[in-house]
Amino acid sequence: MDDEVAAHGREKRAAARENAVDLRERVVVVRERSIDKRERDIRAAETTQGTRDDQIGMLQQANAQLVIATIDAHKLAEQVQTAHADQDHLAHHDVLTDLPNRILLNDRLAHAIALAHRQGKRLAVMFLDLDRFKHINDSLGHAVGDKLLQSVAQRLVGGVRHSDTVSRQGGDEFVLLLPDIGHAEDVALSAQKMLIALAPSHLIDQHDLHIGVSIGISIYPDDGRDAETLIKHADIAMYQAKESGRNNYKFFEQEMNARAVQRQSIEAGLRLALERREFVLHYQPKINLLSGTIVSVEALIRWQHPQRGLLEPAQFVPIAEDSGLILPIGRWVLREACVQARAWQDAGLPPITVAVNTSALEFRAGDFLQCLRATLEESRLEPGYLELELTESVLMRDAASADSVLHALAALGIKLAIDDFGTGYSSLSYLRQFPINTLKIDQSFVNQITSNPDDATIVSAVISMAKALRLCVIAEGVETAEQVAFLMAQHCDEGQGYFFGRPVGAEVLAILLQTGVPPAFPH
Amino acid sequence: METRDPLRHQLIESLMARHPEKGADAAIDLWVLMATQIISIVGEEGFNSLYARSVFLAQPTFPWLAASSLSPQADQRFANLKKCLEGQPPSHARDANSLLLLTFTGILAALIGEPLTTRILSSAWGDDASTSTSKEFKHE
Repeated sequence: MDDEVAAHGREKRAAARENAVDLRERVVVVRERSIDKRERDIRAAETTQGTRDDQIGMLQQANAQLVIATIDAHKLAEQVQTAHADQDHLAHHDVLTDLPNRILLNDRLAHAIALAHRQGKRLAVMFLDLDRFKHINDSLGHAVGDKLLQSVAQRLVGGVRHSDTVSRQGGDEFVLLLPDIGHAEDVALSAQKMLIALAPSHLIDQHDLHIGVSIGISIYPDDGRDAETLIKHADIAMYQAKESGRNNYKFFEQEMNARAVQRQSIEAGLRLALERREFVLHYQPKINLLSGTIVSVEALIRWQHPQRGLLEPAQFVPIAEDSGLILPIGRWVLREACVQARAWQDAGLPPITVAVNTSALEFRAGDFLQCLRATLEESRLEPGYLELELTESVLMRDAASADSVLHALAALGIKLAIDDFGTGYSSLSYLRQFPINTLKIDQSFVNQITSNPDDATIVSAVISMAKALRLCVIAEGVETAEQVAFLMAQHCDEGQGYFFGRPVGAEVLAILLQTGVPPAFPH
Repeated sequence: METRDPLRHQLIESLMARHPEKGADAAIDLWVLMATQIISIVGEEGFNSLYARSVFLAQPTFPWLAASSLSPQADQRFANLKKCLEGQPPSHARDANSLLLLTFTGILAALIGEPLTTRILSSAWGDDASTSTSKEFKHE
């Protein structure tokens, strides 16, 4: 019995132990589960935080892209706006000088006219054209010409009121609009200021360039009530300023209109005159004062105008120079003179030199020498019988380039004469430097040699100087026997003028050469 | 149309007027604080883009700002700007930095609106900003 009880007790204890173990195991499982859950929770929380960070990151990225895109859009809009503004500026301004162009000037002028009309005020239009700008462009090149235009533009802008408009019409033409002017005298003062502003030389690429300007002025409402008329009338007045000596200003006057019309008709006629063979050459003898014989002739152009008769050079040469037509006309003169000189020789007449006036435009032309050689070859005239007459201003404009051309001409055997000596630079250095054969004393000095002691002194001095430099010297515009006597007493070599003979046609000159007698000579 | 300067302007002007003796250092502190806030919203690239645009717009007035581009190193981000400001007379540097800040915040305001920009700036510049502008806030 006791054994049974004891066994039962042992069984119970064993069972209790097993239960306790089982319980402990369960506790462990529960604890492990709890740990797992905590770990899962932590992992889940970490995942959520990561996702949030990712989202914030993506949001930042999206914001960045939005900012960049918006700023790029701003930049683009700005570029488009700038391009529009540039385009607009370009359409209304001159590229070279950045001054308002013709379109903008017309616009401003129209507005200014409307305002002046409403307020009963006056305005002025000034048309400016640079004097002899073409020569600078032709001789020194367009790059220098362009810089000169820029320099001129700056000075013009510096000399006007803020309310005035300085515009460039193209080429060497500028138009100024001066709104709200009080009196015509104020405009004259402004024009005077322009002339003074442009007077100092312009230093362009080591060239010290002097350029004058001719100014024409028209006033609203007196000289026109619309932009076109005012500009046209200022342009006409500008031509008048040029004709009256350049580098000055002129107000428009109604009678200028008629002259302008005539000028336009001459220019149009000149363009056709070459084709229609309306030009003729007359020849004025040059007399050796010692022998009294004709030693050479000067070829002088005349225009046989279909309506207006025979025109003198003064009536059309300035227009031909301004329009550039002087170049083909000058070449025609050269060819015609050479052909004629050779024809006289071929006819058995005593050989004489033929002198041809050479304009600046011809002299500066790139193919000047080539053209001369071709003309001499074609006409079969020996170069020694051709003389080119050049004015001092033609030579002095670009002495370095003139020097090389003159030496090339001399090397060909062509004679060179300085025309109108004493009226231009009269530089003594170029007389030594350039290969010149002859000095032609300007007729303005010769005219007065018997009545004005100063002129007599000047002519005597020029003759002496020419002799000392071993140059041939010829007096132009000799009209009286007293003048001849004076010139002979001073040992002047040659004379030319009405006293010896007016310019005559080729046939008449052939007769003079044949008879050997000049029309008038004090034998 | 604005009848008076926005609060942002007053804020910047008042902060710029403070600590004039600190010069470029004070200016750069403002940029660093503002950059932290703005980069957290629009990211580094967004900030760089805003800054580059601001320099471009301020450059015609202060050409020497051209050299104030951002450094690629975050801790040296404003080193070039600091160098630029230090190279100028103090009043010149102060004016330039004011203009740069106004331009920068102006672009930001155009993108996200004036109130939000002002809030961001206040939170960037903290106590300094709130003290400076407390009076103005009271009048809002």
